[in-house]
Amino acid sequence: MTEPGIDVAFHRPRTVEEAVALLRGDDGAMCLAGGATLVAMMNAALVEPSGLVSLSGVDALRNAERLQDGSARIGAMRKHCETAEETVLENGQCVLREAARQIANMPVRNMGTIGGSIAFFDPAADYPPALVAADAVVEISGPDGERTVPAAEFFVGWYETALGPGDIVTAVRLPAAPKGSIGLFHKLARVSGDFATASIALILAMSGETVTHLAIAVGACGPTPVRLPDIEAELTGKVLDGAGIDRLAMTLADKLDPIDDVRASAEYRRLVAPRMVKRAIAEAAATLRGVA
Amino acid sequence: MSGLSVAMTVNGQDRSLDVPVTQTLLETLRDQLALTGAKRGCNQGVCGACTVMVDGKPVRGCLSLTVNCDGAEVTTVEGLADGGALSGIQQAMADTNAVQCGFCTPGMLVSAFAFLREAKTPSVEEIQYALSGNLCRCSGYRKIIDAVQLAADRSAEVSS
Repeated sequence: MTEPGIDVAFHRPRTVEEAVALLRGDDGAMCLAGGATLVAMMNAALVEPSGLVSLSGVDALRNAERLQDGSARIGAMRKHCETAEETVLENGQCVLREAARQIANMPVRNMGTIGGSIAFFDPAADYPPALVAADAVVEISGPDGERTVPAAEFFVGWYETALGPGDIVTAVRLPAAPKGSIGLFHKLARVSGDFATASIALILAMSGETVTHLAIAVGACGPTPVRLPDIEAELTGKVLDGAGIDRLAMTLADKLDPIDDVRASAEYRRLVAPRMVKRAIAEAAATLRGVA
Repeated sequence: MSGLSVAMTVNGQDRSLDVPVTQTLLETLRDQLALTGAKRGCNQGVCGACTVMVDGKPVRGCLSLTVNCDGAEVTTVEGLADGGALSGIQQAMADTNAVQCGFCTPGMLVSAFAFLREAKTPSVEEIQYALSGNLCRCSGYRKIIDAVQLAADRSAEVSS
């Protein structure tokens, strides 16, 4: 519940530097991006910031661009509805677009931002596995200047990221994906719009029937997205074969660290995630065959 | 009350207000402007009863802070009618009796109104997807979907 009368400062800086300085000047201040997470937390009295640093006036965070080397840079204040239609994403990078399309519902996608979502880091959220599968890096500005952190290291644990005091996510950057690769995001949820019970982010490229690139990350099945390097390495460079995928998928359950929660039991997640991986690979391969 | 002054356009009228920093747009609309169409259901952005349009796009009133809406154009369910004439979706909901307890109706109307500006001949699946962020606790979805289709059909007839 919001309480009128509590003394909360409100700032609307124009630059990232100003925003960092404001955060630095008040330990209890928090960044307000789209509000979809922070205001919900405030309404539930789970956080009580002493000040709010709104990033809605920082135009530099709103852009998405395609860089010379084929990487795609998505500004932190890009809304989910924008990322869902993002044209700077190409080939397997589109895994991020597919994830954005499945976040919550239209009114929330019209508000929520990628920076706000990943800075909060609900492990059942849709962007984290997509960013990990895409080998994305997170751009951060903070009291010590700018730095980049690989997505796989940015997500540290339940609701915990590599962000320190005064740090702001400014963008995510997805390296160029192999030409002809496709990105796909499969989400299992109790109802449309819920957080994932389990999710699979996958990028696949094939030359004929031979796998030339494969990246898989599982979401909502542990404290961080689970990348599957062993399975990726086993399948890459070989002809895609159903029996091999079956065998590898069944080893997947051991690599997950899910919990029992309101959405599903840990056991259910261990059972369903391997099947989702198999289905995702099969669907991606079928799509590529249809394109070729 | 520590307040900040905010200027917004609400249903076409310029409004200047002093609001606490933590006040949500939903609270401002209901408590300060007496626009009680948008409802407070979950206050978590899940149920959709508080859906209003900010700068033409449906958003959650309960997840928007009013201080962050300075300069915005806000449209609530009270602003959907054109003078005395109901909008197409409002008339269609009335005609199909797509209302049970009515609590979700304002949010449904705002979401459907925004959807119908884009979708001229929507399928049932498209309507379901568009309204998936609005929960009806009476589970009366069928008539709501019928109403959206009726409104789309009527506006297609008018423009053909």
